Amino acid sequence: MIFLFIGLPLLVAAVLPLIGKVSKKILPDILANAVFLFLFVLAITSGRAMISQGPVLRRLDWLGEPINIQVAVDGFSLFMLMAIALVTLCVGLFSIDYMDHYGSKANYYALLLMMMTGMNGLVLVTDFFSIYLFLEVAAIASYALVAYGLEHDELEASFKYLMLSVIASAAILFSIVVIYSLTGSLGFVAVGEGLRALDAGLVVGFCAALFIMGFGLKAALIPFHAWLPDAHPSAPAPISAILSGLLIKVSGVYALTRIFFNVFGLTATLSQVLMWLGAVSIVVAAFLALGQEDLKRLLAYSSISQVGYVVLGLGIGTPLGIAGGLFHLFNHALAKGLLFLNSGSVQMATGTRNMDEMGGLAKRMPLTAATSIVGSLSISGVPPLSGFWSKLIIIIALVQSGEWVLAVIAVLASVLTLWYYLLFQRKAFFGKLNERWTAIKEAPFWMTAATVILALLTVGIGIVFTFVIRSWIQPASDVLVQGIHLVVGSWGF
Amino acid sequence: MNSTWFMYLGFSAVLLFVGIYCLLTMRNLIKLFIGIEIISKAVSLALLTSGVVRNNVLLAQSLVITFIVVEVSLVATALAIIINIYRHTKSLDVRKLTKLKG
Amino acid sequence: MILQIALLSGLVLFSILAILSKDLLRSAISLAIASLFLGIIFFRMKAPYAGVFEISVVAGLITVLFILTIALTKAEGDVRESNLAKIVFPLFFVVFIIIDVLVMKGLIQKIPTLPGSADQGTFGDVLWKQRTFDLVGQLAVILAGVFSVLALFRKRDKDE
Repeated sequence: MIFLFIGLPLLVAAVLPLIGKVSKKILPDILANAVFLFLFVLAITSGRAMISQGPVLRRLDWLGEPINIQVAVDGFSLFMLMAIALVTLCVGLFSIDYMDHYGSKANYYALLLMMMTGMNGLVLVTDFFSIYLFLEVAAIASYALVAYGLEHDELEASFKYLMLSVIASAAILFSIVVIYSLTGSLGFVAVGEGLRALDAGLVVGFCAALFIMGFGLKAALIPFHAWLPDAHPSAPAPISAILSGLLIKVSGVYALTRIFFNVFGLTATLSQVLMWLGAVSIVVAAFLALGQEDLKRLLAYSSISQVGYVVLGLGIGTPLGIAGGLFHLFNHALAKGLLFLNSGSVQMATGTRNMDEMGGLAKRMPLTAATSIVGSLSISGVPPLSGFWSKLIIIIALVQSGEWVLAVIAVLASVLTLWYYLLFQRKAFFGKLNERWTAIKEAPFWMTAATVILALLTVGIGIVFTFVIRSWIQPASDVLVQGIHLVVGSWGF
Repeated sequence: MNSTWFMYLGFSAVLLFVGIYCLLTMRNLIKLFIGIEIISKAVSLALLTSGVVRNNVLLAQSLVITFIVVEVSLVATALAIIINIYRHTKSLDVRKLTKLKG
Repeated sequence: MILQIALLSGLVLFSILAILSKDLLRSAISLAIASLFLGIIFFRMKAPYAGVFEISVVAGLITVLFILTIALTKAEGDVRESNLAKIVFPLFFVVFIIIDVLVMKGLIQKIPTLPGSADQGTFGDVLWKQRTFDLVGQLAVILAGVFSVLALFRKRDKDE
């Protein structure tokens, strides 16, 4: 049942090009979005029941014989599965209209499904090498998707992204080599036990450093962020949304968190390193976002900044901090996905990404403007939207742990974030309507539908945030808080 | 651990250095990709070495084979991107790829 | 042991030739020969399957892909590499080797390991029974690569 998360997208992706020969647009649209919707419903309904008794391990059976395909679901994995399915669904809906003029839609959906396979697989596996393998699946799909438009900018961005990403993969693999040489196994449980028994502090620190370099590059933390401000703006809008909203978090933050919390165990040094890495990302990226004229580049730097908040929250290590970090991960996935999809609507209507050339778009594209405000305010941390609550929780956790400097940094950076988002809103949507845009229309149906869904969710979660925290975030953060004990003790395999 | 592990790992580190040097200094796009290939060799050598030291060569072999499959996919995608870049700029110079800045 | 070190040195030598050589075709062939050396090294490490895969895929398939790309991208003027980088390289290389040997020598016997169990079964058992999920992953990665290449080489209609 759980295996459907990996198997279904893979299967549909495999047959999609064949179907694409028969029906160029309609059937691929329906099939792909049906898969996304199905997996989202699956994550919400049956997943919850499954993990109510603690983490679950599933072994696949093939014609009666047990095959060694193990997937493990716990609160953290399920939370990520739900987030992945939700954002991918909205991106899929958006693509129905947006990708019409790019050509070869069946191929596009096939790549999108492969990326989802990679991300779902990464979240569900139980050993180090498989994490690397599914990471590469999602990454290869993303290289092609970033370059999808085949224009000069996109190809250049994709090439630079590829080069840096390969170095990251090499760092991750070297770390895996050292871990395997030390403990003789690759599974989380065995490695966790082995490292406890060995007590090899310095070598584990070396491996941790390599992992931070590798996964930090995937998550675009400063100073490993160089590829993101080129790759995310140049990609087609729905791809920017899924990269910023999901891929940097799944392949970067999730993998790092899973390894550091559930296998290595979070020591005080590691906690400080993560917190300061997060803080540097927040501040530097916020300053870099200030001077941007290109709308999507501003959003890209903002992503780096917000991922910094997530890492900061997770690095605190207290239950409140972890809950805040995870909640912010989810909120940012929704809000940044929303903003990037919006930028796609604007780009399709006006043909430009330069904010100075826009102006007064709200008069002609009211829905787009409204959803854009919701997304911007949520990320800036304005109540009662969801982003406010997650940032508040992180700041409270910082104060509780006595990290006053970091708390002040977090608050000030939030003000900075609000500043540049308000600037963007003013330049693009409000003010006088630029004469060039007097004839533009609101975005097509599916595009607005996707952004409206995300905006409603952002508002809704802001209102009922206690419910969301109790039912989704709490199980996830419990898994991380229990840390290494969870893996070594109760996964039971 | 015994010294053979360190010998192999030493050579693997040298290969890694050669590959990274190539990525840092070379300007031809295809040469850059040769640098990535050399890094991949370093990684496969390291993977297999870890198997030798744990007396688990069969497991390490399957890891290396999986890694080589991933590498083939990566090479195919990257060369496709390079060919497309050539179609746009008619040159393989990485210095032509400096449009995006800031 | 001596033979192994000689083979490893050959591997490093041909890799260096691949990056320092001016002609792209010669670089590709040097890379192929380096892969050949690596395959033989794998054989002598008692990993015949990895050796076969390395030679047939990396020295074979990837070299063919490289030569195909080189043929398709015969540039108008060749890209002039910086001569400085090539001259400075031996210096950096020697420095790195010295650091490398010192670090490795210093770490011997200082890293603890767990005792392990030997392999069970044959290679087929290990690949198909122990690492079955890797096969799903391999299928996924191959599909991702195929779709990427298809997407990057698709025909663009003029009014799409």
